[in-house]
Amino acid sequence: MTLSLIILYVLTLIYLSIAERFRNHTTILAIQGVLLFGIAMVRLHSFHPVEMSFIIIETLVFKAIVIPAILMRVIQKTKINRIHSSSSQFGSLVMSIAALIASCTITYYMADDRTDMIFFGVALYALLSGLILIVSRKRIFAHLVGFLVIENGVFLFSMAIGVELPMLINLAIMLDILISILILGMFLRRMDDDIHTDETDALTSIKD
Amino acid sequence: MLSYIILSVLLAVAPLAVRTERATHYIATLFLLVQITAVAAILQLGLVDRTVLYIFRTDTLAIVFHILMIAVLGFSMLHSSSYLKAEGVSIRSYKAYYTLLMLLAIAISCVYYSSNVAMTWVFLEATTICSAGIIYHREFEQTLEATWKYIFVCSTGIAMAYLGILLLSTVATEGTLDYEALRSVIAEGNPLYLKVAFLFIVVGYSCKMEIFPLYTVGVDANYAAPAPASAFISTALVNAGFVSIMRIYTLYSAAGEVFEWARHVLILIGILSLAVGAMFLRRTNNYKRFLSYSTVENMGIVAIGMGIGGIALWAAVFHVVAHTLVKSSMFFQVGVMRHVYNSYSINRIGNYMNINRVGALGFIIGTLVLLAFPPSPLFISEICIFSEIVSVGSWWLLVVMLVLMCVVLYAIWSRTLRLGYHANQDELHLSAVNRRLSYSALILLVVAIVLGLWQPEILKSAIDSIVTVG
Repeated sequence: MTLSLIILYVLTLIYLSIAERFRNHTTILAIQGVLLFGIAMVRLHSFHPVEMSFIIIETLVFKAIVIPAILMRVIQKTKINRIHSSSSQFGSLVMSIAALIASCTITYYMADDRTDMIFFGVALYALLSGLILIVSRKRIFAHLVGFLVIENGVFLFSMAIGVELPMLINLAIMLDILISILILGMFLRRMDDDIHTDETDALTSIKD
Repeated sequence: MLSYIILSVLLAVAPLAVRTERATHYIATLFLLVQITAVAAILQLGLVDRTVLYIFRTDTLAIVFHILMIAVLGFSMLHSSSYLKAEGVSIRSYKAYYTLLMLLAIAISCVYYSSNVAMTWVFLEATTICSAGIIYHREFEQTLEATWKYIFVCSTGIAMAYLGILLLSTVATEGTLDYEALRSVIAEGNPLYLKVAFLFIVVGYSCKMEIFPLYTVGVDANYAAPAPASAFISTALVNAGFVSIMRIYTLYSAAGEVFEWARHVLILIGILSLAVGAMFLRRTNNYKRFLSYSTVENMGIVAIGMGIGGIALWAAVFHVVAHTLVKSSMFFQVGVMRHVYNSYSINRIGNYMNINRVGALGFIIGTLVLLAFPPSPLFISEICIFSEIVSVGSWWLLVVMLVLMCVVLYAIWSRTLRLGYHANQDELHLSAVNRRLSYSALILLVVAIVLGLWQPEILKSAIDSIVTVG
């Protein structure tokens, strides 16, 4: 079961690298939220109501519903539609596959008996995918998606390591990330309104 | 601690409920008094080195930097008032600015006192959110760009740091991420994990401490924020980054051979920061960016001091303390200067000595202190770092540092003289010079010079206690 969910998660990352429409990016992020919920539930060793409700809030509510809703609203308000036309789907796919191979290699050398190798490798792949999105895409919205892919990777990473942080700390971390996304979304809209741009190439007015 | 945080937060949001600037000032003053009372209570009631609410610890490191933060915050509030009035901002914007400044101060003080790796991360991320509003305060194209870059890079950087924390947590046996608890078991951790964790955490926190590689967002933030807020960001917030890295450094000091590796990483980061500072101090054409690159350069020296260890570690902490006083003073002077010229452009403004002699002298003396000319306190810290470098036999490091610092000296001094004596290139529409603000900024500089001549025993023993743990 876990393996199927993990494979599905890898497929979402590959699809994300070739997807052109931002609506598709948002849908993939929502699907990732649901998959993370499934993975977290399968790995839950025993039934703890508080722990379970926290997982539901963090994955289903927060990652699968609230954040995609915020992104959809940004898309509607800014009327941005797709990644830059000059971006090559094939190039992105090659980079994504290279990241997958790199993740497998690093995992082989790094993972020890305390870590789950599959989770570790996929989490690393998610991180690299997020970074590739940020570096290779010109549109600011794609950067926001890249940041969220990294955050999902970090969530998977915590499962790979098997860390159980106190609930209060988990809650604080979740709130921090939610507020960051809200503020980033707000500023993205403001940039569209005030400087009429949604591309990073236009953000070069501050320099030495 | 809980009552301190609740009261501080209530006071921080209180300006949103009042209608006048005067009421906002009263609240800000009250906020400052609460901060002073909190520190006084810790010291007077013998609450030093106590764990509070499971996630805070009132250790010497936190107290020293909290006191410094309060000093800079007081001056920042004073200068902000004049700055905002001169800008003619709306009352809504005025109240929002003070609210954000106070919330930022709370988040920073929580970073100082945090005794848990994950909570340090949480409060550092909170400082990003509070700073964002201050950076965007002037609401024009460049502030928007700076704010976006600041939030995005800091959030991504701090996500990386979180990864490091997760890797670090593999050594936690009882599920606690308390620094003390981790320190007792860190030697048993997987060395490869510990190395990667250190790298991720330092890279992530570099956006706050303004060192290589993520220093750029801090420079942009200081450029975009109002000058009195830049003084606060460039010192108190940078110190929050330093305290966070210092706590990780202390934690790793029990990690055996990994610690040696971590110290080499810090030296490398320090050299790269120093090189970046030296290069951009010559290139930039804006006084606020100029001072920010000077922060990058000074934090580079601090990182090298930490990497070398021994007496250089003591000097690194002393360097941060002295830098806080000098740099904040200089940012305040730049704020007054901007009021005169309505510009920060290095190439276009000059003749400041004839326009505002006190301000010009404050800036020139500040520059000399920043360049570590005796009796600067930075002279003491840099000499200590150099002597430790010589004693460990790293001559190559000494040569590299001296070459880079010569470039810094030339860049800073030539530009400071330009401000004081060079003919002004712009047609001036002089505003009345507020010499009261120039004099007030001098106070911090005088304190720094006194520290260069005489270090009080209490400060020496406080720094001793900070570095003894390391």
